[in-house]
Amino acid sequence: MIDQKALAYVNLYAVLGALENLCELVPEASAALTNKKPLSIGFEVKGGPSATITFANGKCRMEQGCSKCNVKLPFSSCEKFNGLIDGTVTPIPSKGFTHIGFLLKDFTKLTDLLNKYLRPSDEDLKDPDIFRINTEMTLNVIGVAIAQLGNQDEICKFSAAHIVDGSVMIAIKDGPAVEIIAKNHRLLCLKKRPEKYRCSMIFDSYQTANDLFGGKVNALACIGTGKVEMHGLMAMLDNVNRILDRVAIYLA
Amino acid sequence: MSDNFDPKVKKFTCYKTTKSDEWYARAAKVIPSGVYGHLGPAEGLFTPVNRWPRFSDKAQGSYFWDVDGNKYVDYMCAYGPNVLGYNDPDVDAAALAQAKLGNCTTSPNKIMVECAELLVDTVNCADWAFFAKNGNDATQGAILTARAHTHKKKLIFFNGFYHGVSPIVQKIDYPGVLPEDVANNIYVDWDDIATLRKIVAEDNDIAAVIAQPYDHGNFYDNKYPADGFWQDVRKLCTDNGIVLIVDDVRAGFRLDIAGSDHYFGFEADIICFCKALANGWNMSAFCGKEFLKGAASSLSYTGSYWMSAIPFAACIACINKMKKLDTPKLFRELGTQLTDGLKAAAANNGFNLVVSGAPALFYLRIANDDSLMLHQEWIAECVNRGVFLASHHNHFINASLTSDDIKRSIEICEEAFKVVKKNHPELG
Repeated sequence: MIDQKALAYVNLYAVLGALENLCELVPEASAALTNKKPLSIGFEVKGGPSATITFANGKCRMEQGCSKCNVKLPFSSCEKFNGLIDGTVTPIPSKGFTHIGFLLKDFTKLTDLLNKYLRPSDEDLKDPDIFRINTEMTLNVIGVAIAQLGNQDEICKFSAAHIVDGSVMIAIKDGPAVEIIAKNHRLLCLKKRPEKYRCSMIFDSYQTANDLFGGKVNALACIGTGKVEMHGLMAMLDNVNRILDRVAIYLA
Repeated sequence: MSDNFDPKVKKFTCYKTTKSDEWYARAAKVIPSGVYGHLGPAEGLFTPVNRWPRFSDKAQGSYFWDVDGNKYVDYMCAYGPNVLGYNDPDVDAAALAQAKLGNCTTSPNKIMVECAELLVDTVNCADWAFFAKNGNDATQGAILTARAHTHKKKLIFFNGFYHGVSPIVQKIDYPGVLPEDVANNIYVDWDDIATLRKIVAEDNDIAAVIAQPYDHGNFYDNKYPADGFWQDVRKLCTDNGIVLIVDDVRAGFRLDIAGSDHYFGFEADIICFCKALANGWNMSAFCGKEFLKGAASSLSYTGSYWMSAIPFAACIACINKMKKLDTPKLFRELGTQLTDGLKAAAANNGFNLVVSGAPALFYLRIANDDSLMLHQEWIAECVNRGVFLASHHNHFINASLTSDDIKRSIEICEEAFKVVKKNHPELG
């Protein structure tokens, strides 16, 4: 049921892409990068995605492609890259051996923090800061994963084929939001609140969002109780939600 | 004056749905999603859900009362089964008389034969009738019959279709559906006869074309077929040995007592009925032409309650009463009266209300924005004052609806337009 190529897109752009948010939200992550020379790591997956993550001034930014990077990590297949994410594959750089220290020390620290905040223990979630950061980061991961699966997964492409042009907002009330932009049935996620949108799904609180993301409550029952509100083009939202169902399978 | 009209301020009071909320919370603990399926709040038809009642207490004629005691004139009619009015005395008397004789018995009651004879006499294309319980049973039975007859496997659907809940009529991205379940499905746009011809020319493994009589899908304006479309489809199917199935579950008996294919001037090979058959008593049927009777006979297809007698008695009374009242004509007149009034009320307040589909099954959309949010706000204000509508589904007229009901509905809906206008000064 899981396509390795689609999973590679999710792992690179949604999961590793969450490093951007980590550096914004977690001071410890930002501190790990301060007073360091700017550095970029390229991920090149044969038959799959490629992207460059640039670390500079305590921040991190992901861009597509890896023609300009200090360290390049090539992967011979999507399966190999997915192995990096689940910890079964150790990457070997093809470029940038002098920066191996950053890779082994600083980058590893960041990915450990990423894991801590994206997959916190129940005990960790009792910490209000971890709870808030986990909720916000997960919202972003889910948003990007929706876009990637809508473009890559065969079943999700069927859903995307029924999505009209325009923006979908997924948001936490009085909190963060993501924008899924559909154009010619291709999807793009921007990690921001859209100015204009054709439909929206709004969680009434961080608690509702976190419970839903963690699979602790039923989404349809939340719609029935009003904890999740939907507005606008329901057919558009319905198809986004069908992709969202499969995001849970990919991120499990 | 009516029960939710406040003469001091000359406006309709807004309902509270506190008890509905409480019942829903109880339901969500023991029933998946509280109320699953088309009657539930998660289908995108109640926006926002807290303006809709979730549970009813009683119903009569064109009205139902929710568990908070709020009274609604009901334009959803239980999503179609209420065709003569809730608790119709003639239908219920027939059903209760049959109940005293027997219902679910070892040998089916003879009334099943009388019901089949009535359907064959009433429905233009019918030479036989096969009974079941829900619309999905009927469409599934029709597809099985087509495959049994043709020994072919592929099915052609028109995009926007809804033909029930069996895996083969769902879509590949629906939970629990496998790619293999829908691997033999071909999808064509409504009215696209050119593509349909091309597909049929290139594929000789097509068992059936299945379609609603007109495109009465949810979330978009409903569309009648172009002139000659059905006649072209009919000829294409006949020339290529493809079974033409009309899913008349939703529109059946509301456009034409003889079937919606008759209304549009062609003959289906199989036609499926459910909603309006028995005024809420549970049964469905698919009827077909003589050449398919053997295939229908061959099916391994049955159910514990499919030959229960009470619904047959109700069905006979319901069909006879629909004929006596000429309900298609009545629905056309009532639906037109209502929708003309709604359009005028919209225009009075600066809204462009688009009405589509048959007047008996009218579909509404405010076209002032491209997100349907204004429409959702307006519908919610209507529901909250006692006119039960769904945000993005066709509605239904029933025979007990009166001109006074319609007049009051239009007054409420006009007040709802005024509220939305006031909430959106940017509309000017």
